[in-house]
Amino acid sequence: MIKESYRQKSENDLVKASLDGDKQAFGEIVTRYQNMVARTVKGMLGDSVYSEDIGQEVFIKLYHSLSDFRGEAKLSTYIQKIAVNLTLNEIKRRKRFFSTFSQKGNNEMYEFEVADYDTEEKKEASELVNKALMKMDPKFRMIVAMRMLQGYSTKETAEILDLPLGTVLSRLSRAQEQLKNILGKL
Amino acid sequence: MKVTDFKELLIRSLDKDSDPAAVSVKIEEAGATFRFSEGFRDKVLEKIYSSGSAVIREVEFVRSLNSVFYRIALSGVAAIVILLISIFIVQGSLSLDSFLGLGDSSDESIICLLTGN
Repeated sequence: MIKESYRQKSENDLVKASLDGDKQAFGEIVTRYQNMVARTVKGMLGDSVYSEDIGQEVFIKLYHSLSDFRGEAKLSTYIQKIAVNLTLNEIKRRKRFFSTFSQKGNNEMYEFEVADYDTEEKKEASELVNKALMKMDPKFRMIVAMRMLQGYSTKETAEILDLPLGTVLSRLSRAQEQLKNILGKL
Repeated sequence: MKVTDFKELLIRSLDKDSDPAAVSVKIEEAGATFRFSEGFRDKVLEKIYSSGSAVIREVEFVRSLNSVFYRIALSGVAAIVILLISIFIVQGSLSLDSFLGLGDSSDESIICLLTGN
């Protein structure tokens, strides 16, 4: 019953209530946006337990920066920006780690933990997307994750990634070329 | 959906003219779903609300750091005021020359000082 009332609240009301220390209100924010964050983080880092940790970090960081959210942009955009920044930091950290301590190549530094799927076809599709994304250049992968997995328009992608529209368009076209090559080999 | 069709759908999702929202739904329906594990929400809430005391300590540290900076800034302002008063007393004015210690010097004496003649 209580959960139901939170479901009907607007995001601004949920933010205000969370700032007043209402745990259930912040829980509702997590429920609403966790799948969106999962698509960004897992799309860019692969489907692994580490992605889960980054996902948790996204919401912890959101909680601590809620007072900075002024409601000018959508809450989803604000959360996406946090998710993108934390994921890019993790990619950089992994690159540094693997170049220092391991002989593994860029594409091998991601681990997959494919979840249970009801059909073999769906499992194959998920594996295919994971493998293709992980073989892509991270700067293209970001754009592809936003477009292919989140369904954002070019303008929304530019806003979230803080990139000029022209840069997003050119990367989108280069990403498509790269994806064609990768999928041709898979 | 056949693998070849799915690959085609993935490539088409990056077309400039495609409808990204509609294509991403199709991709998700085909099986490319990304979800966190069960209990993700509870884990996040537990991490946030069980570390409340740590957060309070962090906030207190930042506040005390702020107050230290205020004290340093106030000391700086007081030192500047004392300096201005002392310059005014010694030089009799607060012009640029008096700031540079040139209040009593004429142009000729400065030239002599710089050239050594």
